[in-house]
Amino acid sequence: MSKLTVSFILNGEEVEHETLPNRTLLKMLREDFDMTGAKEGCGAGECGACTVIMNGQAVNACLVLAPEAEGSIIETIEGLSDGTHLDPLQQAFIDNAALQCGYCTPGMIMTAKALLDENPTPTYEEIKEGISGNLCRCTGYKKIVQAIQSVADQNRVGHGND
Amino acid sequence: MRPFEYFRPSSLKEASELLVRYGDGGHLLNGGTDLIVRMRDGLTLPSAVIDLKGIEQLSRIREDEESVYIGATVNLNQVGRHETIGKSFPYLAEAALSVGSKQVRNRATCIGNLCNASPLADTATPLMALDAVLEVFGPEGEREIPIRDFFVFVRKTSLKPGEIVKGVRVTKTAGQGVFTKLARRKEVDLSMVCMTLLKAEDGWRLSYGAVAPTPVRLPKTEALLNQGAALEEVLSCAVSEVKPIDDVRASREYRLEMVKVMLKRGLEQIEKGGAVS
Repeated sequence: MSKLTVSFILNGEEVEHETLPNRTLLKMLREDFDMTGAKEGCGAGECGACTVIMNGQAVNACLVLAPEAEGSIIETIEGLSDGTHLDPLQQAFIDNAALQCGYCTPGMIMTAKALLDENPTPTYEEIKEGISGNLCRCTGYKKIVQAIQSVADQNRVGHGND
Repeated sequence: MRPFEYFRPSSLKEASELLVRYGDGGHLLNGGTDLIVRMRDGLTLPSAVIDLKGIEQLSRIREDEESVYIGATVNLNQVGRHETIGKSFPYLAEAALSVGSKQVRNRATCIGNLCNASPLADTATPLMALDAVLEVFGPEGEREIPIRDFFVFVRKTSLKPGEIVKGVRVTKTAGQGVFTKLARRKEVDLSMVCMTLLKAEDGWRLSYGAVAPTPVRLPKTEALLNQGAALEEVLSCAVSEVKPIDDVRASREYRLEMVKVMLKRGLEQIEKGGAVS
């Protein structure tokens, strides 16, 4: 088995990285880049704990092979804040106490980010549907939906519509 | 995951040659949402993974006046949200959007869904009802396979060594259709039974998933519907044309009952005109 060089953009930075092909994008992010925000829950596309944004779309990093990252733009939870200011979604999860153990949170936030990037003002139902690929075993979703809703509300005011 | 060589060819010819070279050890990669799980679990152990996403021509949905063509690497969200598919085949769009989660659908492809040849492939029943045609590239050239001849058994298709499905073509058909998926939860679940019922210009078409080793059409039931037979007769005929099994998701008995319930409700829905044309 030969190693491959994979070039992609990770949280805004161009990277060129050597990897074996028989591992997932999730493993590569966690083990080689120390980006341990995305978690492996089920490893089968059921729980969403490994969600990252690939070319603008939320994907399960456990279902992408490392070499498939070639040429793509990858965003992870580590790239959301600028180091000083949190992303509005991160702040909203804190303000709404939308987490307990925190295991699902990075995936949940990245799914919500992809949702809001596509539709900045989703309805309550659209938010619920939007996060249906992410499981949380602690909070029961209500506060998570509230947190996302609060950012959607801010966007609504910002956009001056509805 | 067991070691393998990874290839990302840029042409079908190259991909097909790799498939031939690696024989049984060669495996095509579309979206990977099934393959990667199977590799992790040791159920599929390829010596070469051939990623089709580098072949540009496979990544598009094309349409003309008569038909719509879905390329091999088009994902399920792209199928589900495509304007023409939504208008002309809303039941196909619905089936595509019923697979897995949004994250899964951003990777998983319609062609991958078909090539897995799972008995419960959600996009198979609408495409069976539409008499879709698979366009195939192989070492001996190109050929077409009607979807009815594509599924052979559980996880077995009629593809020959080195052959690659380029895409699937459906003819625009006027008519009303209904897709129904019965699962334990609304999202991220597999079908216990799925069905597409279509009232086309030339008559009724009915297909089911998860009630036989492959997705199936029910020709005798379709004939009865075309003759305007009584509902009871139609429903018992439908049950006689399927062979479900007991498994983790549902029992054979329950599935047989649901075959009737889903058909009855589908007929009602089409009668009410609830389903879009």
